[in-house]
Amino acid sequence: MTSIREKGYHHWEGQFLEKQRTFWPITRTGLKLAFGRKHFKLFYTFSFIPAVVYAVIIYISERLEDFKSISQGAEKIFQINPNFFKSYLTLDILYFAILLLMSIGGAGLLADDFRHKAVQLYFARPLTKADYLLGKAGVVIFFVGTLTLIPAVLLYLLKLLFAGSFGFFLAYPGLILSIIACSLFLILFFTAFVLLASSLSNNRNYVISIIFGLYFFSEILRGIISVIFRSPLSALFSITANLKQVAAGFFQVKPPYDYPWYLSFLLVSLFCLLSYLVIKHKVRGVEVIK
Amino acid sequence: MRVAIEARNLSRWYGNVLGISEINLEINPGITALLGPNGAGKSTFMKILTGQLKANIGEARIFGEKVWNNTHIFRHLGFCPEDDAFYEDLSGFEFLCGLLSLYGYSQAEARGRARQALDLVELSDVGGRQVRSYSRGMRQRIKIAQAIAHDPDVLILDEPLSGLDPLSKRRIIKVIKEFKNAGKTIVVSSHILPEVEALTSEIILIHQGKIIARGDIYFIRDLIDTHPHMIRIKSPQFRQLAKSMASEDYLLKMAFEPENQAVVFETHDRDRFFNRLNELLLSSPLVIDEITSPDDNLQAVFDYLVGK
Repeated sequence: MTSIREKGYHHWEGQFLEKQRTFWPITRTGLKLAFGRKHFKLFYTFSFIPAVVYAVIIYISERLEDFKSISQGAEKIFQINPNFFKSYLTLDILYFAILLLMSIGGAGLLADDFRHKAVQLYFARPLTKADYLLGKAGVVIFFVGTLTLIPAVLLYLLKLLFAGSFGFFLAYPGLILSIIACSLFLILFFTAFVLLASSLSNNRNYVISIIFGLYFFSEILRGIISVIFRSPLSALFSITANLKQVAAGFFQVKPPYDYPWYLSFLLVSLFCLLSYLVIKHKVRGVEVIK
Repeated sequence: MRVAIEARNLSRWYGNVLGISEINLEINPGITALLGPNGAGKSTFMKILTGQLKANIGEARIFGEKVWNNTHIFRHLGFCPEDDAFYEDLSGFEFLCGLLSLYGYSQAEARGRARQALDLVELSDVGGRQVRSYSRGMRQRIKIAQAIAHDPDVLILDEPLSGLDPLSKRRIIKVIKEFKNAGKTIVVSSHILPEVEALTSEIILIHQGKIIARGDIYFIRDLIDTHPHMIRIKSPQFRQLAKSMASEDYLLKMAFEPENQAVVFETHDRDRFFNRLNELLLSSPLVIDEITSPDDNLQAVFDYLVGK
């Protein structure tokens, strides 16, 4: 016969696991909430289409004889070199997909916590602000990483695999490092960008407007300044132009705009730093007084 | 006895607005109620205790350890905020599991603790439902569940009984008392005296950021009883009622409201007043429609105590 347990307080005699990954439960919850949002899985799946297309290009590039009819006149496309990987990591459609995904699954990362006053629940637990921010950043890092770093590295490995030799590796020994560095830079930028937007409002719809507003506004601004001053430096006002310029620097190819790539690198780095300071201030500023 | 909570010269202000000022106190295991009207500084004090606010002057300690920037101490602390603080898209069970994971529990352990906490606050049957679908009472109970799920030694509960129906209230009071019996330290804030009376006799009165009195419920009751109370009685025979009461020496003032068929008495001895009223009702065919206390709120009592 089993004993009947009285419903009530029972002391817990277990042990806490002294885990250092305190940020992970926050990331896990963020990922779960993102995947639970309407149409998110569909958009996320579609976001891999560019990577699939690039994989097909690599495949064809190794069998140009078999695909003569397709490749004729378009040989440049099938040249696999640093420019090829740079072009993948600077695709406008890829950036748009990242922003679309983050507007659905990332806009509420901080905004929802502010709106629901959930920050106080976190900070009444053994959690530092750095853990909290890392946990939130983890969500963006995951999505941007799976769309930039992982596909780019896989494309590189695919090229090595299809080539069946180390010729490609020996021809471009530093390419894998360029791919990793450029991807990490993109991850850093988009993480700062999304978290900054999310920290600026309690309303997720406003955050979405901020994300796309800033993105498109920077393009429009660049267009206007370019027309007025006719200077390549107008590209410094555009988010995508700056990212493309920095990517060219990482891959050591000709930059798309006629000015040193490190100017864009410094500008984007400054933006990330300022974003971090704003986010930190916003999180610290959450004080609910009654 | 080991002091659970210590506040030394604790002061906090927001620009020109004073939150709390020079609070010095020690809280021992058991239930202590922080009683004060809205804006008294209860939440500020609790937020300092839970490490969310830094005191401008002074410091708070839990079990002798500084609270500010000491995340280690929060393993022993459970906090139930006054405001709703949820991920509305998660189920109550997922919400608890997520928060429990932050303590370093394994997933299996977190799930077990979450189930137990849901059980304690009687939400097991709706644990799988999204928090957004919860009623006000359920939301209050899930907030309490997240505070107790990790079996903390110190529980800080900001207005834990607000919005609860009488049955839920009883259940939560029982849980809080069970924690007390297990040797825990519980600080409960409220602005409703009867709620506090049901929980504990150890009370701290806080008003305008300062502690104005501390003692057991009887001491506070005595303080409050010196405050002139207003009692409004609605009756078709309100003039006859007034005439019968007029000679009582504890009556300070009477005012008529003929349009409402009511009389308002002011007395400094509520108990004697109601005893006399009972006698009158038993000995004469008086009909009473309604008895209310226009100033029966803590704000009036506090204003009186601080000499406003």
